[in-house]
Amino acid sequence: MTHLLAYLAPPNFIDNLLLKFFSPETVNYVVWPFIQIGAVVTAIAVYALYATYAERKISAFMQARLGPMRVGKWGLLQPLADAIKLLTKEDLAPDKADLYTFKFAPFISVAAAFIVFAVIPFAPDWGVITDINIGLLFVLSISSVGVLALILAGWSSNSKYALMGALRSSAQMISYEVSMGLAIIGALMFSRTLSLSGIVSGQQTDGIWFLLYQPLGFLTFLISGIAENNRAPFDLPEAESELVAGFHTEYSGMRWSLFFMAEYAAMVVVSAIATTLYLGGWYFPFVFRLTEANGYHTLYVIISLLVFLAKVTFLLYLYFWLRWTLPRFRYDQLMDIGWKWLIPTALVNIVLTAIAIFTVQAVDGWNGWKTIDSLSPSLNLTGTGKGIMIAFGILGIFITAGILSTINWRSRDFNLKKQRRNIRLINLPKGKPAVAAPPAAEKV
Amino acid sequence: MPEVNVPQPTFMEKVKRFFMVDLLRGLGLTLKYNVGALTDKNSVSGKGIYTEQYPKVRPDVAPRFHGAPRLNMDPETHDTLCIACNLCALACPEDCIDVIAMDIEITVAGKQRRKKVLDEFIFDTSRCMFCALCQEACPTACLELTQEFELATYSRAGFVWNREMLEQGRETVKYEQ
Repeated sequence: MTHLLAYLAPPNFIDNLLLKFFSPETVNYVVWPFIQIGAVVTAIAVYALYATYAERKISAFMQARLGPMRVGKWGLLQPLADAIKLLTKEDLAPDKADLYTFKFAPFISVAAAFIVFAVIPFAPDWGVITDINIGLLFVLSISSVGVLALILAGWSSNSKYALMGALRSSAQMISYEVSMGLAIIGALMFSRTLSLSGIVSGQQTDGIWFLLYQPLGFLTFLISGIAENNRAPFDLPEAESELVAGFHTEYSGMRWSLFFMAEYAAMVVVSAIATTLYLGGWYFPFVFRLTEANGYHTLYVIISLLVFLAKVTFLLYLYFWLRWTLPRFRYDQLMDIGWKWLIPTALVNIVLTAIAIFTVQAVDGWNGWKTIDSLSPSLNLTGTGKGIMIAFGILGIFITAGILSTINWRSRDFNLKKQRRNIRLINLPKGKPAVAAPPAAEKV
Repeated sequence: MPEVNVPQPTFMEKVKRFFMVDLLRGLGLTLKYNVGALTDKNSVSGKGIYTEQYPKVRPDVAPRFHGAPRLNMDPETHDTLCIACNLCALACPEDCIDVIAMDIEITVAGKQRRKKVLDEFIFDTSRCMFCALCQEACPTACLELTQEFELATYSRAGFVWNREMLEQGRETVKYEQ
């Protein structure tokens, strides 16, 4: 069995072939990365393509419809048909548009979405293209370049809808990036590294998902992520009823589909980062013990890859689920949620996590309790320490609820009922309920 | 300033609002429909898919629906059941039926007799309001309004059905499942 799997292992076979033509350095640092990049870009493009299909199907099911059914079995070839249609469509540009910017903006958008996949650990060993030690910082910085594309597209279109959409999206993305960056810090306190592979291995050695330590951080990250992607219920930039299609109103054909692709790729990015940070990345209990420990290395990598994809798919389903359940926020509500609720939540989460870690360190060694296994490379806790940390995580939700309602008790949206109670009715004597006007007397 | 009577929220309502219980309930509803679409076959009282795959699957019309007209034939001899009595044309409030009869010579019990039989039957479906009074009037259950509903044609003349169309039915494209 072991021999069979060794033969099946594709990297070794290709490695031997490549070593006949190139030096080992070239193979390791040039050829293999290119193969990985090609594989990842193709896989992500297909994944994004089928995410559109999944979204159409899921939305249909939620509305008791069938969704695409005609192209292929159950409409499975629909994304390909759409791609062909979009490729062959006319590439229109509006009159008086800033032509070079207009044509260039979609490429920035799609590049910013795809570059991020360079650092995401899909699986251990050959499942990661590159593991840089500032991985998370890289992801955050690159994904905020995506905003530029939206602003350029909206500005160069010479259209009021596109401009309004771009303005909205830039305001939204900038305000939600703050809470996104702050939400991450809680998880980083446990992993003690910005390298994404390091974060996953931190969870693996601890045998726990950071979701249990950081329920609040996960929620904040997810909500900011959805808002960052301009997805419903935060899809203000593309509000159909007000702005036609937002920043990509004037785009058609392949350039429009690049924006579309970038949107779905960015969703996959946020799902992948949330998976890596909070859901343990490719780590799943018992997988290591059953495969790698018995010598099945390739099997271990492949199962880890599938685990990672399953988690990302679950988060993507959450995206679709939320989109087809919740109505769109009003613009001031959107800003309220960002600045008054999510950023304070993220800040409170940092403080609470710091207190929790301090407590765990203080308790270590007290009355013979042992809470910390090791501090390097990541914070590894014993069973007692994990219990304390999880208790702090759950307690943190209630503490944050209290703090947030204290901060926001004067907030307008928080007190809608009080406002309604004080509605001023025009031209009505005090103390009398509003009634319909009596019918006018008939003229004789 | 007059006050509208809105009750003060209780503590439990505030807690419910903070933890967005109603939002979770909404998510539960959509999830229920999503699962129902994959598992439930009952679309009327259950959570199944309501869509009919129309050209591939014929929809079930209501039992009292009146559609395309048809002239029934004797199932054994394949002669028309119509006796050219003209009752349907008289019953038609829209005057869209023309029964054209002809006399033929037949021999009954060794004697030459003349008999009135159907020559041509014109039915203008563009004027028909599908009231089925003609069907009620028909003494031999020959004229019948069926459940077929694909009546569209490319020209006005196409709406006028002759005897052959009424007996054989119009040709429509049949889609495979």
